Amino acid sequence: MNGTIALDVRGVSKRYAAVEAVKGLSFTVRQGEIFGLLGPNGAGKTTTIRMVLDIIKPTSGEISVLGGPMTEEKKSRIGYLPEERGLYDDMTLLDTLLFLGQLKGLSRQTARERAEAYLREVELWEARERKIEAMSQGMNQKAQFVAGTMHEPELLIIDEPFSGLDPVNTRIIKDLLLRMRDRGTAIIMSTHQMHRVEEMCQRILLIDHGERVLYGPLDDVREQFATNAVEVDLKGELDEVPGVKRLSPRNGGYRMMLEEGVKPEGLLQTLVDMPEVTVERFERVQTSLEDIFVQVVGREVSESEGEEA
Amino acid sequence: MRKSWLVAAATYRRRVRSSAFLLLTFGLPLLMVAVGAISILTQIRGALPPVGYVDRTGQLATVESVPVMDETLDLTPYADVDAAQQALMDGDIAGYLVVPEDYFEEEAARPTFYGEERPNARLESGLTAFMRQAMLPEAPASQIERLEDPAEITFVARQTGERVAQGPALVVRFATPALLAIIFVFTVFTSANQMGSAVVREKEQRAMEMVITSLAPRELVVGKVLGMMLLSLTQVGVWMIGAGVAIGLALFGTLSVQDLSIPWSAVLWAVLLGVPAYFLYAVLGAGLGVIAGDKQQARQLAGLLGFLGMGPLYLTGAIINNLDGPLSIGLTLFPLTAPTIALFRMTLSDVPTWQLAASFAIIVVGLVASIWIVARIFRAAMLMYGQALRPRQIVRALREA
Repeated sequence: MNGTIALDVRGVSKRYAAVEAVKGLSFTVRQGEIFGLLGPNGAGKTTTIRMVLDIIKPTSGEISVLGGPMTEEKKSRIGYLPEERGLYDDMTLLDTLLFLGQLKGLSRQTARERAEAYLREVELWEARERKIEAMSQGMNQKAQFVAGTMHEPELLIIDEPFSGLDPVNTRIIKDLLLRMRDRGTAIIMSTHQMHRVEEMCQRILLIDHGERVLYGPLDDVREQFATNAVEVDLKGELDEVPGVKRLSPRNGGYRMMLEEGVKPEGLLQTLVDMPEVTVERFERVQTSLEDIFVQVVGREVSESEGEEA
Repeated sequence: MRKSWLVAAATYRRRVRSSAFLLLTFGLPLLMVAVGAISILTQIRGALPPVGYVDRTGQLATVESVPVMDETLDLTPYADVDAAQQALMDGDIAGYLVVPEDYFEEEAARPTFYGEERPNARLESGLTAFMRQAMLPEAPASQIERLEDPAEITFVARQTGERVAQGPALVVRFATPALLAIIFVFTVFTSANQMGSAVVREKEQRAMEMVITSLAPRELVVGKVLGMMLLSLTQVGVWMIGAGVAIGLALFGTLSVQDLSIPWSAVLWAVLLGVPAYFLYAVLGAGLGVIAGDKQQARQLAGLLGFLGMGPLYLTGAIINNLDGPLSIGLTLFPLTAPTIALFRMTLSDVPTWQLAASFAIIVVGLVASIWIVARIFRAAMLMYGQALRPRQIVRALREA
């Protein structure tokens, strides 16, 4: 199952009157991967997710979910944790999970068994008879996560899954997501927490103004934005190094910006060949996803605030 | 349909436990039963006190006691009002009846009762029995008893063979359709409001986005409406049981079950027209809740819908004046007024079966169309938290579906 395409979005657009929220977007998500859906506020992420879930219809383009067009039957094979958090305040936690689990096609008995198992796992067992309105934001967040995943979906779409969670609960949810991924679930994670994307996602899609800006394996994207710089810790003094256009001390070592066409391997050889220098650490500088995000859409972020389509 | 039932059950369970629902559902019938109980308590309170009478006609026979249900009313004749008044002040009697001199001559002349308190129903009954016996002292008891209701007529309809006895049974026969119509109007008025508020609350709780990825908007709308309908049925059921008990207590001893003549065809048509029409109102109420931005706006829109439901009550006069006129027939065929108008017409005349059947068909078609439309508006509006849907957006929602 892993590697099979779970979601195939081809040339999808969505127009609201004069505004084109999504423009000819194409991407695929595979079983057994965590796929990062990134973009500034108002970029069209939520619109894209709602089109995938058949909450709204695309103006043009095609979406294939779990091997074909979205059907009512397939809704039971998809999980969703929306950005807008909300459960029925006047229901108890267990009743809420039984209700939502059954809506996803589970029998009452199975829904109960799964709900009880998940509640123990996310440490909400003691709160099972508590009303939603009496639960904290973090508990509510975990409850909603359980509601969206207890039917063990083949495709899971989660929007900001870690917002409002403390480090312990973040770890619990992260472990659950990784386990689901390993079981073959295709997971689309939309978040602004770039370090989580770097930790968990294999591939990403960055959209801005409804258009695809970056798409592909995370390593490829990083490579694309690599700064051709290295960080070196060494014994000895350096004034000038051949092939290095800028040399700056950093954390007891140096950061070196390489000249055009100079490869890190060549620089390493040059340093090793220097008799008065002993190389202790040589590391290519990885451009962080956050840097890439800011570099690509940084200027537009502030302009787009509050325009989430 | 399974998912609609799940939504209905969850909706029902959530609301049936709310304190507002419990208070409204059980408070009203408890009040009704209490009123009925007070009525019966006043009847069975203590023994009948002795009373006196003054016969100014000089033609009444002396009567010292008369049977009243299972008791006896003791009477003392007095020569004049002063003597009777003295006995009253001495506490010998609870009151006295003065029969005027011209009682047999003028229709307007009536006996007058003077007492410490207003006589209760049993004492009134005893005084009436006294007058009958005092006027016909030689007549056998059976004749005197018959005089109480000398012409209890049973009406038989030649066409249907329906038999209805005069008196309370006749009132039941003709009041039932009107009562059912009023129950329908009342239920529709309250539930349209509740439905709109429930949908707005659903939007406010922001649970919709999660729920809607599990079932079709049509299933969600049907489930919500079914749940609310079950709630209303529970409420009306409790109220009707309460009303039945209260009426039973109030009419205790005056009307037996065998005397009742329930017009079953009216009841049948009330169900056939009322249930889908109620459903239609609830779906429209849900639609207005979807369009509304907040609870206040939902209540205002539901008020308009409720006004439509109440409308026939304002037209009663025009309809009674011409039971088979174009207005009556037109409103019988209009789905939102059909149950009320048809039942009102049944109170006073027979409504042709074709009109009732056509009305049923139109309501069902209207219901299916409403579910279709509301489900599509629902899809467009459910994620617009705190915003009202503009007419242009409604048109677009219908077009894009």
